[in-house]
Amino acid sequence: MRIADFSKLRFLVCFGLVGLSLLAFACSTSNPPLEPKADYRTVVDDLGRSVSVPVKIERAVSLAPSLTEMIFAAGAGDRLVGVTTYCNYPEEAKAIQKVGDTMTPNIESIIALKPQVVFVSTASQLEAFMATLAQQNIVVFVSDAKDLEGVYRNVEQLGDFFETKSRTAEVVENLKRRADFVRHGVGYSARAGNPTRVFVQISTDPLFTIGKESFLTTIVRYAGGDSVTKEVPTAYPKLSKETALALAPEVIILSDSDDNKEPNAVFKNSPAVKNGRVYKINADIISRPGPRLVDAIEQISEKLNASSKKESSE
Amino acid sequence: MRVQKRSLRNNEDNITNSSLYVVNCSLFVVSDQKDLNRRIAISVLLLFALALVLLLAVSVGSESLSLFDLNEQQRAILFDIRMPRVFLGACVGASLAVAGASLQALLRNPLAEPYLLGVSNGAALGTMIAFVFFESFGLARPILAFAGAGLATFTVYQMARSRAGMNVERLVLSGVIVTTFLSSIIVLLTSVLDAARLRGFTFWLLGDLSQATYQGFYLTLIAAIVGTIFLSSQARALNLMMIGERDAMDFGVEVGRVRLIVFGLASLLVGTAVAASGSVGYVGLIVPHLIRLAVGSDNRLVVLFSAIAGAIFVVLADTVSRTVIAPRELPVGAITALIGAPVFIYLLRRN
Amino acid sequence: MIAGRSCELSRPLTVGGSDKMLEVQDISISYGSCDVVRGVSFELREAKTIALLGPNGAGKTTLIRSLNGTIPLSAGEIRLNDKLLTAYSRREISQTIAVVAQENETKFPVSVLQFVLAGRFANGSAFGWETDTDIATARKALLECDLAEFENRLMNELSGGERQRVVLARALATNARILLLDEPTANLDPAHQALMFRLVRERCHEGASAVVITHDLNLAAEFADEIMLLKNGEVFAFGSPGDVLNDKNLNEVYNVQVLLDANPASGKVRVTTVY
Repeated sequence: MRIADFSKLRFLVCFGLVGLSLLAFACSTSNPPLEPKADYRTVVDDLGRSVSVPVKIERAVSLAPSLTEMIFAAGAGDRLVGVTTYCNYPEEAKAIQKVGDTMTPNIESIIALKPQVVFVSTASQLEAFMATLAQQNIVVFVSDAKDLEGVYRNVEQLGDFFETKSRTAEVVENLKRRADFVRHGVGYSARAGNPTRVFVQISTDPLFTIGKESFLTTIVRYAGGDSVTKEVPTAYPKLSKETALALAPEVIILSDSDDNKEPNAVFKNSPAVKNGRVYKINADIISRPGPRLVDAIEQISEKLNASSKKESSE
Repeated sequence: MRVQKRSLRNNEDNITNSSLYVVNCSLFVVSDQKDLNRRIAISVLLLFALALVLLLAVSVGSESLSLFDLNEQQRAILFDIRMPRVFLGACVGASLAVAGASLQALLRNPLAEPYLLGVSNGAALGTMIAFVFFESFGLARPILAFAGAGLATFTVYQMARSRAGMNVERLVLSGVIVTTFLSSIIVLLTSVLDAARLRGFTFWLLGDLSQATYQGFYLTLIAAIVGTIFLSSQARALNLMMIGERDAMDFGVEVGRVRLIVFGLASLLVGTAVAASGSVGYVGLIVPHLIRLAVGSDNRLVVLFSAIAGAIFVVLADTVSRTVIAPRELPVGAITALIGAPVFIYLLRRN
Repeated sequence: MIAGRSCELSRPLTVGGSDKMLEVQDISISYGSCDVVRGVSFELREAKTIALLGPNGAGKTTLIRSLNGTIPLSAGEIRLNDKLLTAYSRREISQTIAVVAQENETKFPVSVLQFVLAGRFANGSAFGWETDTDIATARKALLECDLAEFENRLMNELSGGERQRVVLARALATNARILLLDEPTANLDPAHQALMFRLVRERCHEGASAVVITHDLNLAAEFADEIMLLKNGEVFAFGSPGDVLNDKNLNEVYNVQVLLDANPASGKVRVTTVY
């Protein structure tokens, strides 16, 4: 081939490729937007998005353990067809098909399950993924429960979705009652003017704890304590050891996980360690913004009420 | 013999510092009284600066302390938390700077640096394996870090060699390949293994002095001292090797032996530093460079002075990292990179 | 320190009394399956200069590098002062043999004096600083090579010819008794070419010996005591310039036509190539 032929050939190939990709692009955007049908309703999710959810939801996928728990609490667990690998509560959730985890869900598995709605928590941060699902006519509902009030609200919303309003009303009523019971309990009011100084440790080394923006700060307060790190910015800061030592907490709460088996060495002379007031709480119930946050309040309150003379630990 | 004061040509800055007479326009070291005095003057200056920086670092932190009149809790903060951390930072800085200086001379490349060559990542991978599989054995971390560093160094060297000798571009390329390869293995292991245990590890990888203990400090101190002394003993040979391996051989250097010693010691230094504090980058690159600008390329000076200057650099960076958003902490490797990368770009452009 | 004789030569390592400094016995050097040097034997005696001539690729550089042990032999032996070359350490070899070769560029700022002081490495201790003797020797070498005012300049500031002379100065600073020079006049102007050879001759008058690779047949004829003509890795001819440099040899080895006469100034053989 002569040089002139070669450059012509190259030009044609490039042109062809460009043309093909333009064609592919055109085809991909040619799906007409979905018309709202009669049996859909419009709701606003926690991100302020208006979404059209089917009135009758039979197949749903949950992409966060907290959402799975809330859906089961709303009595709609039987309608979940897909959950994440970390969804381990309640027991029935373990039997449901797994579609990846919260940070990296498997889109193909989700689509293969043909769900009508996918419930996502803001922890996922999955904009691109949401666009893909939208193209498959799967509705994405984003939940962002930042505190206990948010949990109540989400559960009630789920009652609306799954048409289990009576059940959810009861559940929420129950949760509120239990939380109030703690807050007006004897131990709580006794300490009201002088709440116990609590340090919640997320990991031993490096030292991570809870900060201003974590819902656990409020949970600790409801339980009758006062998180010593409540003024530290962000939700889960890595704390300077010097500050940790100076904080001298009275109680240390460890979220029970492999990298958090004991308090950091700086606490060895703290009142908490000296008095043996170091307690482990199940990591799931204090890390998931779901109905079991109330369990967390109860358990923490119980530990705080325990006699400081090493009578009850764990 | 007069020490001449002459301004440099080309684009080298005039670095006269008349108040201390530490001018080194001629960029070589000559043995006579005035020159000896100058060397002593610089050493004293650097040591003084180090002492000052250590004092500063120890008096500053997320909790304010006055150094006199301490209660028991404050004493604990000072002695159990701050001091081991500051001293560890100094040793880590010295180790990394000395390793960088020696590798640069050996590989005849001013861009050779433990971090860029993948040696730090090799050490990090070794530490990670020790952390996951040999958690109870305390010394496993430095030992496996040393092994990882040595392996990475060996690999980069073998990749960069060719019949014609060490090619500078090949070296940088090999370093990049080894670094990225090891990085991906680390990421792979982090994803595959139990996420909870390794969560803190990712933070540590960026350089974290917060887990300093006196034990870690002693180990790193010993390694730093041993490494610096033995590498200084090779400094004169490195001066020759810096000009060319063949030239060095012609004039009496046992090139193979020197190479082995330097690689071994550099791996030891990087291994212990990384095992103690994660991957603190750019120290081995910036510090020797700046020292060379000040005192010339004689490795007998560069190695020793880099140790001190490296210590100063990392202690300063760590002080910033634990005060700027107190009571939270930044990884010290982020600070050294923030300072180091622009300086590196500047140095590249000057060449 | 530097009084009396114009240079101090380092003593040979074995007090042998033999005037044979290097003995090369039937050596071969191969890279893989390719023989670069084959069956070469000769002796280098005290106060003698041997010029090593031959076309490109004849194996001259390889041969000369084997003489200081930096290229290993595939067969044969080399003896230095009656002891096998391989039995010496690098430092010992460098005290006796110095090399002038093509110079590498360095990325680090190295001053001329620092470069020349590298020649003193073999005489010092590993950790040690240069002694006054070292520096004086280095300075003297620079002076001999007409580089006295270049002492504090940086190597990468100099021209090719100036760097070449610094490389020579480095070799001279070692005070080694054997000098191996690989095309030392490649970048030099005529004045400095002559200077270089004169310096080598002077050293030889004081008891040193030298092997010089050069392409300049006339310089070789002028300054060398013996000429070794290499072709394809083998010794084609070896003897005095008058014997070796004849038109038959030169034609066969270099594939050129030459005219031979005597240099009117010195009386040595003069070779003129016919183009």
